Amino acid sequence: MSGLIQGFGRGLTIVFFVAAVVWGLVLIILPQLTMLERALTAPARQLDSSIALQLARDAGTCISVLKTYENTQPATSSTGGLPVPSASGMAVPSASGMAVPSASSMGIPSISGGAGKAEATRPYILQCDRATTHRQMVRGPGEEDEWLDTLFDLPDLSVTDTDPIPDQIAAAQRIAAIGQEVYQKLTEEEAKAFPYSGTNFEQLFAARAIPMSAEQKAIDNTKPSKIFYSLIGLRFEKDGQVHERIGLVTLVRTLVYAVVATALALVLCYPIAYKVALATPPERAVWLFLGLVIPYAIVELMRVYAWTTIIDTNGLINGLLTQIGIISEPIQFKRMPGTVFLVVVYTYVLFMVFPIFNVMSTLDRNQIEAARDLGASMARVHRRIVIPHSKPGIAVGCIATFMLSAGAFSVPRIISRGLQADWFSQTIYNKFFESENSNVGAAYSFFYTVLCFAIVAIFMAVMRTRLKDFARVQ
Amino acid sequence: MRGKDVVLDGVSITYPNGFTAVQPTDLKIEAGEFFSILGPSGCGKTTILRAVSGFVEPTGGRVLIGGEDQRGIGPNARPTALIFQNLALFPLMPVWENVAFGLEARGMGRRARRDRAQELLNLVALPEQGYKKPGELSGGQRQRVAIARALAVEPAVLLLDEPLSALDLKLRQHMRSELRAIQQKTGVTFIYITHDQGEALTMSDRIAVMNNGVVEQVGSGDEIYSQPRTAFAASFVGETNMLQGTVKRVSGDMAAVGTSVGRLRGRNPMGLQPGDPAMVFFRPEVLRVGPAENQLTGKLVRRDLEGAFVNLFFDVQGHSMTMHQTNSGVGVGGNVVPLNGEIELGYDTADAVVLPASVLARTGREMAAQ
Repeated sequence: MSGLIQGFGRGLTIVFFVAAVVWGLVLIILPQLTMLERALTAPARQLDSSIALQLARDAGTCISVLKTYENTQPATSSTGGLPVPSASGMAVPSASGMAVPSASSMGIPSISGGAGKAEATRPYILQCDRATTHRQMVRGPGEEDEWLDTLFDLPDLSVTDTDPIPDQIAAAQRIAAIGQEVYQKLTEEEAKAFPYSGTNFEQLFAARAIPMSAEQKAIDNTKPSKIFYSLIGLRFEKDGQVHERIGLVTLVRTLVYAVVATALALVLCYPIAYKVALATPPERAVWLFLGLVIPYAIVELMRVYAWTTIIDTNGLINGLLTQIGIISEPIQFKRMPGTVFLVVVYTYVLFMVFPIFNVMSTLDRNQIEAARDLGASMARVHRRIVIPHSKPGIAVGCIATFMLSAGAFSVPRIISRGLQADWFSQTIYNKFFESENSNVGAAYSFFYTVLCFAIVAIFMAVMRTRLKDFARVQ
Repeated sequence: MRGKDVVLDGVSITYPNGFTAVQPTDLKIEAGEFFSILGPSGCGKTTILRAVSGFVEPTGGRVLIGGEDQRGIGPNARPTALIFQNLALFPLMPVWENVAFGLEARGMGRRARRDRAQELLNLVALPEQGYKKPGELSGGQRQRVAIARALAVEPAVLLLDEPLSALDLKLRQHMRSELRAIQQKTGVTFIYITHDQGEALTMSDRIAVMNNGVVEQVGSGDEIYSQPRTAFAASFVGETNMLQGTVKRVSGDMAAVGTSVGRLRGRNPMGLQPGDPAMVFFRPEVLRVGPAENQLTGKLVRRDLEGAFVNLFFDVQGHSMTMHQTNSGVGVGGNVVPLNGEIELGYDTADAVVLPASVLARTGREMAAQ
């Protein structure tokens, strides 16, 4: 700190310090924390307590409506339709407006009554029908049904319309009491409950049945990728149905693509970097270098679109090949995963070549000559001298290329145009912007970030590079 | 003795940009010899070294090592080892792996390599340093590691490209004797490149003086110093006084040259004839105060005390002359010359040499001005 103040003066040092804090806090830590919070927040759904409360209210309304029948009973029971107006009239003040139309329209069964074994003692009352402890809970899509009485171990009570009215009132009162009690218990619990859950993450691991014919299944079972998914448990058969953990399958596929693209970029860039940095006289290396840089002066989207003109069904390659007469039908490059790959490598290759080049150009050429002079073959010179020296650059290049390809969004979207399986970045996008629950997107992206971080950390451990090595690179 | 002889048979080297670094050169370096190539920077001495080691292919002529033509043989297949000016140790490997690198390239097993590396480290007096990284060693120790690494491949010819230039003066002087001792112990042919005449004179069996891609003279240190055959050799090796003129008279193996300060005589090894443009060279240590066979009159302009001897700078009618005097005591006796006083100087004819007029080595003043 004092060194900084000496070197740059107090004002600049404060600016640096603030910038560093803002950078770390606002641009790195805060967004990740927000993302994590969103990921952990389950999608909004009705609380269980609210259902208990509704039960208590319904039972209360039921009681007050039943009480109006208590006085007129039992003579009115045979008049059928007559109680309807009175019922509706009585229901209005006590219950919500909902009760009115339903009570009147639902009065019909009692008119045509006589078909049932026991004669109903009153017309149909919605609130009394709903005043049952066997009440369904509100759950999200794909979740199993739950019932209030089984969930909270309550007696199965309901208001039976064939019972005498006083019994019905008594039952309704018991139900109202239970409802109130459960409501109070649940509100307390819910107030204390931990607000976060892993439900959003569960979606990533969820398996879904893939409908397919037997022949299709037989074909799929021989595909290497499907065999691989089966081996790591992302694909399995249950009750004769093929299930796949779709989210994870996309994740794994994207990671494999990213790793392969990184490896390809490395294989491509190492010789180029070596050639430019060490094996070419400086005056000619400038031209090689320019050739590398100029394509990157073009905006990424333009670079990617340039490829679509080449690989399109009516594009450059197909046109050329048809002209020559090699093919009669255009090749569907858009459907080949290799194409996306190739463009990903092309798009991010510079992030591989520059770090390697930078480190390599610091290698004393005499070391190569010394190794040659001591009898080493060129292969050994690379293995023992050039690669160990360039390792930090290789590591940085690999990490950059891997992270960029793993997060590639525009390339797969533009090149495949929906004709290929999504990359994971596209899945995240869809979850964020095209699904009902964007918190799932947060969960996906947070999980992905952590996973990529872990992969980078493992890679660094394997390469035996430390963070301080990177300081040498740029 | 396992050294081999090296023959340059009409070797010339022209770079792709048209610059001729080495003019056609014939040179024979004997097996087991400590041979130095001495010349200013840019004279082509390193290029010759690279041609012997195989990094540069001669554009004309051929290189023979132990009688075998080396054309088409890469640096990794030649019986040579090169010690670089900056040593080019491998910084990421421990010292013993550095030393054993050539053996590794030859497919020797790890245990055998380590034993051999230890032997070599013992030879260069670094027995305990095998597991350190080169960066942890001192300059002199690194120097020895480089020597051990080169010797590990049992080369017939060891090529050294100014390996001592980065060391302190004291260390440099010590390493000279060590290098010489290692050369005598191993019997390997050493070809030593240097621009430092002191190094060349103290260590070498023979020296080649090079300038502008041409080998000017080959001979023992004594021959080069006392019997230079070209103006460049006379002026580059050691300090010298020079006066220019025309040969007036030749008698026996002596010649008299008419110069702006009068007629001066000296040996005539190149057989100059009257009328030839010539240069007379005589060393500062043969110039003396008082009467001599060749007389000059000068004015003392500066006196530098070097310790064991004194440098006296005279102005002889516009020419600056240097005299080395043994320091016989502070300001005592007749050796002390008064500053700015006119004084009689002279040298004996047998101590001077008359050579064809030609380019001289650049003086310190010329180099500083550039």
